[in-house]
Amino acid sequence: MTKQNLTTSPQEAASRLLDGDLQLEQSSCSQIDQEKFARYAQIGDVMRQTQTGGISIDITASVAQALENEPCHSVAGDDNSADIEQVSDTKVIKLSAWRKPLSQVAIAASVALVAVLGVNTMPQQNSPAIDEMPILQSRPLAGGVAPVSFSSEQPALQQAEQGIRDLQQQRIGALVLEHQRQSRVAYALQQKDKAEREQSEEKK
Amino acid sequence: MRLLACILGLFLATLTHAEEVVSAKQLLNNMATAVHNRNFDASFVVLKGKGMEPYRWVHAKHNNKELELLSLLNGAGLEIVRVDDLVTYYEPQSTPYSVRTDSIAGPIPEILFKDSQALLEHYDFVLGGKGRIAGRPAQLVRVESKDDSKYNYWLWIDTQSSLLLKAAYVTQQGELLEQLQLTHISVTPEPAEQLLELTQREFPTPLPALELSKDETAQSNWQIGWLPEGFKLLKSDRHKLDLNNELADYYLFSDGLVDVSVFVQRPLPGQRPSGALSSGATTVYVHNSGAFDVSVVGNIPAITAKSIAESVKRPL
Repeated sequence: MTKQNLTTSPQEAASRLLDGDLQLEQSSCSQIDQEKFARYAQIGDVMRQTQTGGISIDITASVAQALENEPCHSVAGDDNSADIEQVSDTKVIKLSAWRKPLSQVAIAASVALVAVLGVNTMPQQNSPAIDEMPILQSRPLAGGVAPVSFSSEQPALQQAEQGIRDLQQQRIGALVLEHQRQSRVAYALQQKDKAEREQSEEKK
Repeated sequence: MRLLACILGLFLATLTHAEEVVSAKQLLNNMATAVHNRNFDASFVVLKGKGMEPYRWVHAKHNNKELELLSLLNGAGLEIVRVDDLVTYYEPQSTPYSVRTDSIAGPIPEILFKDSQALLEHYDFVLGGKGRIAGRPAQLVRVESKDDSKYNYWLWIDTQSSLLLKAAYVTQQGELLEQLQLTHISVTPEPAEQLLELTQREFPTPLPALELSKDETAQSNWQIGWLPEGFKLLKSDRHKLDLNNELADYYLFSDGLVDVSVFVQRPLPGQRPSGALSSGATTVYVHNSGAFDVSVVGNIPAITAKSIAESVKRPL
């Protein structure tokens, strides 16, 4: 029996350990993968919780998968910027060496832009010129800092619609940011254009 | 005798008119000189519809070098630093980069601090009334578009220091769309410590010399049938957008005062109506023409953006 134990996979050992099949001792501890053990324990907790609710479906696999896909639930109990960090991943940089605190409040630029746009889309009643214009249906974001990919439990159809709207909002955010960036070089380009034209005129 | 009086009257009228234009021009020139030569520390807010953005703006001239810092104080922030003709942009979520240009592209159109005379072809400079802004006596100068397709830009200039105190995008009907208002300004004989630090800092190597990249293929992909008077193509290419990685045929136009971007993209799924979004003076018009989407972004009226977007066609 003990010999067999040594050859079993760490997963099995961990599983058996949790089930109380195996004694917790040094030999069994050495076999298990710490990370996996913690995950199994978590799965166990989740399962027990659902069982009190009366449902007994095997959700081990999905929970494991979900946990694997979960990007940043650090133990330290991150602040609410978790969802945003998921978007920005590798791109978060220090704003500047002498203004460090600023970078810590970084929100996704798209979010900020869309929020700003979202809030300002109410049709203006007292300007007839704008009334004639079709105004895009856009969801005003309360508070301004809801993640772009925010989704709650909604019927599938609504969710699909929401998805398209999100896509459009994301696109609008991207367009506004791109316009902002491109217009930074506009003046320099204009100067160059002017200089070139003057040069060609001189040649003539 | 009556004829003589009439001629004299006409002459006087044109004379005063000419004088007015000169002094509005002169005021703008004085402002440009002041903004480039004084040491000042200012705070201002930009009001866009219901939104508000506070900025800090510090400028100094030290050993014949211009030092300038503009930072957005709310949210994730944005910091723009200029040392003479090197402008560096620090943004959250992207590596800082530098551009070789002699003015910061901030909320105020940079041409107004440079050769505003170049605008005279498509805008009129008109003197407005006097008032008190940010605790200082100010003179209004209106930069008015010669046609209805663009907004006007109004500036309130300090009559003593010639510095800018307030600015606004105004519709042809006289409605203030986006206002920039100084809340505090101090002019000092010595440059601020914070700016002197900049001389010791290292900046990213500037982007390669800007090319007037008018990509032939992108240009021949689409025909932009209509643009307001005075707009010229500065740039056209095909590139991926930073945020959502979508491919777009991109065109940048400018009339000197305002920039307009035109994007042609693959259509998004679903039935979506065309429409406009606006925040302050910035308009985003999304036009769904079936096989492709055209989006126009810029500080222009929604109707102008709509006309531009709808004029985009495949070349025959």
